[in-house]
Amino acid sequence: MDSVQTRRRGLLPVLFLAALLAYAAWPWLPFSRDTATPPTIVFYGFSILSDVFQEGIFPAFQKQWAAEGHGRVEFVSSFGGSGTVTNQVILGVPAQVVLLSLESDADRLADAGTIARDSWKRLPQKGVVNLTPFVILVRPGNPLQIRDFRDLARPGVRIVHPDPMTSGGANWAIVAEYGAGSRATPGGPGAGEAMLTGIWKNVVAQAASARAARTQFENGFGDALITYEQEAVYDRGRGRLRADVAYPERTILSEHTLVVVDRNVRPRDRPMVDRFVQYLWSEEAQRIFVKYGFRSATEALNAANPGFGQIADPFRIADFGGWRTARREIVDRIWKERVMKQAPR
Amino acid sequence: MSAAAPVAVRRRGGRRRGGAALPVGIVLLVLLPLILMPLAAIFVFAFRGGAADFVKVLSSPEAQFALRFSLLIAFATAAINAILGTYTAYVLSRYRFRGERPLGILVNLPVAIPTVVVGTSLLLLWGPIGLLGRWLVPLGLQPMFAPAGVLLAHLFVTFPYMLGAVKPVLDEIEGTYEEAAYTIGANRWQTFRWVILPALRGGLFSGVLLTFAHSLGEFGATVLVSGNLRLKTQTAPLYIFAQFEAGNVAAANAVAAVLATLSFFIFFFLLRYTARRGR
Repeated sequence: MDSVQTRRRGLLPVLFLAALLAYAAWPWLPFSRDTATPPTIVFYGFSILSDVFQEGIFPAFQKQWAAEGHGRVEFVSSFGGSGTVTNQVILGVPAQVVLLSLESDADRLADAGTIARDSWKRLPQKGVVNLTPFVILVRPGNPLQIRDFRDLARPGVRIVHPDPMTSGGANWAIVAEYGAGSRATPGGPGAGEAMLTGIWKNVVAQAASARAARTQFENGFGDALITYEQEAVYDRGRGRLRADVAYPERTILSEHTLVVVDRNVRPRDRPMVDRFVQYLWSEEAQRIFVKYGFRSATEALNAANPGFGQIADPFRIADFGGWRTARREIVDRIWKERVMKQAPR
Repeated sequence: MSAAAPVAVRRRGGRRRGGAALPVGIVLLVLLPLILMPLAAIFVFAFRGGAADFVKVLSSPEAQFALRFSLLIAFATAAINAILGTYTAYVLSRYRFRGERPLGILVNLPVAIPTVVVGTSLLLLWGPIGLLGRWLVPLGLQPMFAPAGVLLAHLFVTFPYMLGAVKPVLDEIEGTYEEAAYTIGANRWQTFRWVILPALRGGLFSGVLLTFAHSLGEFGATVLVSGNLRLKTQTAPLYIFAQFEAGNVAAANAVAAVLATLSFFIFFFLLRYTARRGR
């Protein structure tokens, strides 16, 4: 073996790796480093919140915080299915502020001892930051003429549905489907179950989060997707919606619950975290949510977004006795125990 | 993007010149839908919005952080496992002891265990409510959901690659050279440094690159132990997944294209090296 040649040949990969290392380490090198690291808020949110927080809320709060004379604040964030986020928080991720899709995930955090029971109910609006009804997305031109939940139960309709094990949106969708059935027929819990059975016979894919289900649907899978109105309104506003929206006559308004994980908030960060939490219910923040397609609990603000559709009979989780009851009675007892056992696998 | 074992290409000897059209055609026909087209798709979709868009999504702080963080973790993983793996290979190859065989099997297991299981068990061990992790919390130590946790996961997952590259070479080196070194008065370290290490260079080189490439693409364990925090613990594959989930296919593919290109160079060097050694 020619050792000079060996050396020369070995030089190229070494140079390549050295260049990579220099690139990778650059921001952490002493002379390129921004010395003072500003205080940080660690935020976890469920899947559809990514854009509104990263582009809207975080920058707006940073401005607000600076305007109040406190200097800089940075955000570290992570977004995923509400159930996934809940599990991560239970396992100990350093989340300080968590916006969950549904209150029963907050209950799970309380059950695990991660947060104090019902602590979120002391926040404005009992912790509900914003709302959005559940709607049906169909292919452009609505070739299958799907107008309401009952049309999803027709044979041959292929539905993309998020997975209730990991997705908050999927749990909302189940209560929406159940409620659409039971409220259409007076005194009809049986009608609710029948609606669920009909729809779930047609579910062809279960994605881990509402956002992932949406991506599957966008890539051409299935005929219909049950999801948050926010996604449709937001995408249509940007000219990116390649689907039609069917507004059911009866559907649920999902309520998104905020929790503060006190054990992850150091005392010196407390005022900043509290200010951020309060800020989420400020008119400015609520307007940002509306702009991104979420509905505000302050009804007057919703006029600002012309994209919202009309729902004849909207209902809330409170109509089913709250999430603890709804989870036990509708999701666990009816959907998991009965509907899923009938659905063909 | 997981790393496969490199194929040693023989330069000379046993190589045919003529009649290549048919077999090469068959290989290409098979590889086209299996490997080549999906690879091309990464680049097609990465550049669908034009080169300007490609540069724009790549230069976002999140994408830059994810790439840099992934590279740093890959360097650290390769460096640490180069030492750990070589030492383990040396011990397994040079010493006879009880439990040698089971140990030899155990250290290779990380290849076969689903990475999600690796992530879960690391969490259950070192996480804040984990078996050992709960004793670290009062000390202010928190390896999980931090870069240290990602490094731990990558060390575990890639460990067998270094071992697999180095141990066969060590097994082949005849003991007589070492004995000769000892007889002229070299101590253990000197023997290792001047007799074994030069012979090991090829194995070390391919082991390091394999480890590096594998770490660069690691997903399953990382997604669990990192907490997937943007700008803090989000590696490039996690960034890609998050962007896919959010429907930003262009951003996902831009970073994927960079990873694919890096891997291309890594395996290019690897094949060149093994080709030379095969001569």
